[in-house]
Amino acid sequence: MDMNEIKEIFFQECEEQLAELESGLLKLNDGDRDPETVNAVFRAVHSIKGGAGAFGLDDLVSFAHVFETTLDCVRSNKLEPTQDVLKVMLKSADVLADLVSASRDGGGIDESRSRALVKELEALAHGEMPSASAHEAPKPAPKAAPAPAPVAKAEPPKPTDESGFQPIPFTFDGFGDDEEPALEGSVYEITFKPRRELYSKGNEAALLLRDLSRLGDMSINCDMDALPALDKMDPEASYFGWKISLKTVKSEDDIRTVFEFAEWDCDLDVKLAEEAASDEELPMIPVPFDLGILDEPSTSEEEEKAVQSSADETVAAAVSAAETATSVAKAAGRASEKKESAAAAAAAAAQNNAAAAAAAAGQTIRVDLDRVDRLINLVGELVINQAMLSQSVVENDATGTSAVNMGLEELQQLTREIQDSVMAIRAQPVKPVFQRMSRIVREVADMVGKQIRLVTEGENTEVDKTVIDKIAEPLTHMIRNAVDHGIESPEKREAAGKDPEGTIKLSAKHRSGRILIELTDDGGGINRERVRQKAIDNDIIAADANLSDDEIDNLIFMAGFSTADKISDISGRGVGMDVVKRSIQALGGRISISSRPGLGSTFTMSLPLTLAVLDGMVVTVAGQTLVVPLTAIVETLQPEASAIHSFGASQRLISIRNSFCPLVDVGRVLNYRATQANPVEGVALLVESEGGGQRALMVDAIQGQRQVVIKSLEANYTHVPGIAAATILGDGRVALILDVDAVVAASRGQSMKPEMSLAATG
Amino acid sequence: MAAKKAAPGSVKLSAVLDLNEASVLHGKLMSIRGSDVVIDASGVERLGVQCAQVLVAGHRAWAEDKKSFLVEKASDAFQKTMQLIGIDNGNLVAKEI
Repeated sequence: MDMNEIKEIFFQECEEQLAELESGLLKLNDGDRDPETVNAVFRAVHSIKGGAGAFGLDDLVSFAHVFETTLDCVRSNKLEPTQDVLKVMLKSADVLADLVSASRDGGGIDESRSRALVKELEALAHGEMPSASAHEAPKPAPKAAPAPAPVAKAEPPKPTDESGFQPIPFTFDGFGDDEEPALEGSVYEITFKPRRELYSKGNEAALLLRDLSRLGDMSINCDMDALPALDKMDPEASYFGWKISLKTVKSEDDIRTVFEFAEWDCDLDVKLAEEAASDEELPMIPVPFDLGILDEPSTSEEEEKAVQSSADETVAAAVSAAETATSVAKAAGRASEKKESAAAAAAAAAQNNAAAAAAAAGQTIRVDLDRVDRLINLVGELVINQAMLSQSVVENDATGTSAVNMGLEELQQLTREIQDSVMAIRAQPVKPVFQRMSRIVREVADMVGKQIRLVTEGENTEVDKTVIDKIAEPLTHMIRNAVDHGIESPEKREAAGKDPEGTIKLSAKHRSGRILIELTDDGGGINRERVRQKAIDNDIIAADANLSDDEIDNLIFMAGFSTADKISDISGRGVGMDVVKRSIQALGGRISISSRPGLGSTFTMSLPLTLAVLDGMVVTVAGQTLVVPLTAIVETLQPEASAIHSFGASQRLISIRNSFCPLVDVGRVLNYRATQANPVEGVALLVESEGGGQRALMVDAIQGQRQVVIKSLEANYTHVPGIAAATILGDGRVALILDVDAVVAASRGQSMKPEMSLAATG
Repeated sequence: MAAKKAAPGSVKLSAVLDLNEASVLHGKLMSIRGSDVVIDASGVERLGVQCAQVLVAGHRAWAEDKKSFLVEKASDAFQKTMQLIGIDNGNLVAKEI
């Protein structure tokens, strides 16, 4: 694996960490004060920093470092994560994401923005620091890229003979910080006893002690009591423990930071020593010697050591990630890859560890999307082929030997299972898209000076990857609209007696085999008067057109419609909702709006879960073969003449178990025939439509139930109203797949061109 | 291989004394138990705590056997790490000052 591939894995890992970071921050924003959430956020930034350090991405490292420092203040309860603090943090997460993508794809970022945020972050870290812990913000030296210590130039100690050593007094001033050395300091008593796991995970107690010694004046006592006799000992076990006395200006948290990746694998106790107890009963070795030897880049070995320590850290990061059940396998895999280049020695341990961690978290591999697509296409062809084979066997062998039929049935089942499994590969939660939206809400709200909270729900709802990819753009547009037009300004809201902070709710759920995405704002709702006027001005409707509230609301989806008084950067360019509607339709979805004046609007999008297959009922309508998606059908029934009731000119109702349901003649709606068919001669399919209501669709006959592979009609021909897509049947003929909701919607006017009829009135 | 036998009764420590090396070193010491030994630490560039544990245990075992266990020509890194983890690298006991 070459360096670029490793780097690519790092960036993929970054994406996951960024998602983790953002969801953690949003949880905090919602009032979650679980320390584990804070830890997860901290770890995410820390891991990004660690990896970036290994690749020499300095901008990323320095920003992540400042960010991490401030997060550390939150972690140690020095900084209360208030809304204001979290606002800065969320913005910082955005900048971090920008820096990651800039590092990956090249290109620059808004430097003034990141500089301003660095200032804000530093101010937060400074401002809330208790005065006891010196005049400076805590700045743990970045471990991934250790800053060359001032110590490096110090004169090396004189070689000593093996009978002992001469302590050489040495002061570390500030270590990497340019501030004046603090004269005051506190003495901490630290007990540190590593467990076996600490070593087996690739950490080294000696390196931790080295890092610790850099924090100040350290005296150490090694507790060897646990060490058994040579022939009884396990060379890989941990027997030594230490009692350490450390005089430092740093805080307890800085000390704990040294052990942060090892804290689960050791017994650690840090406490402030009592002044009186400072003359310890325990004999201590002062450790005031030149540490340059351990990290001075004088030889290539030293360099290797630095890489090794960063690799160690990455392994540790992977281990810590296991605790939060994130993608350990990848992280650890990446870590062990990196290790190869560093030191092969610890690699075995790291890999063992990676394997163990992966087993706990479930293994994953990254696969090129093209390969999955190819597989899905092939399975689609397989399904069609299997259907054709079944049909020809049935046609050519009327007697049907049972062996062949059974074989065919098994084949069908297997094909079915393969298809389901393949589809499951592509299913992904909508979470990443929803998270992107929260950033958009933040940025746009900032731009227009509104306070808006985005609440997401059902973000783990899974849907096909293609749907996810394509939903992001229209959703972005709608979110912008909601922020810009939907939610009122804080003053207006207050005047209307609402919370000055607006709420936008984005939810996803599965409903009758589709995914339903709802976007609700608690803004002013649609100003119907203005929409109507605008439509009249733009010649979309006639001045005297008689439209229902619902119809007026849906006017905003007409091309060239924009009600914003002023054209803003954010929305209102007149290419808004019609584009949204078209992209949703292209996905085989529908969008509708319901609005209550003064209370807000809800956009509802219904999308297919997959764009590749569907279970369908094959029916005949006026000599044509159609497929009705099975998910839409509630039940099928043979209407009796007594159950049919007419009203109005051409409307009919069917009575089902004492309730009435409109009867829709599919053949009539699709213009397959000029007159209404006799319901008694056909079959009624009771369907549930998007609005929740039920309709009875009239067809002539049911041929059977079948899984069909969806072939886009738009891609191969053109959009046909009332038809969702096409498929190829077993005999090779093309059948159209009915768009149930469109047919139901059209049935109100008994005609298939609602948009045209609307346009015609204009 | 880590602990190369330079001469009978002498052990040359390898450059990197990490986790993996601890078992190797342990095996090496066990195999020459009972005779005087000289440990050559001149080539040590990195010393982990687990190898230090083995060395200390070795030193104790040799003392029990009343044989000599000498660490010679300790490299800078060896000395400093021993010192860092609180072990007197001369006699491999917890240093008491």
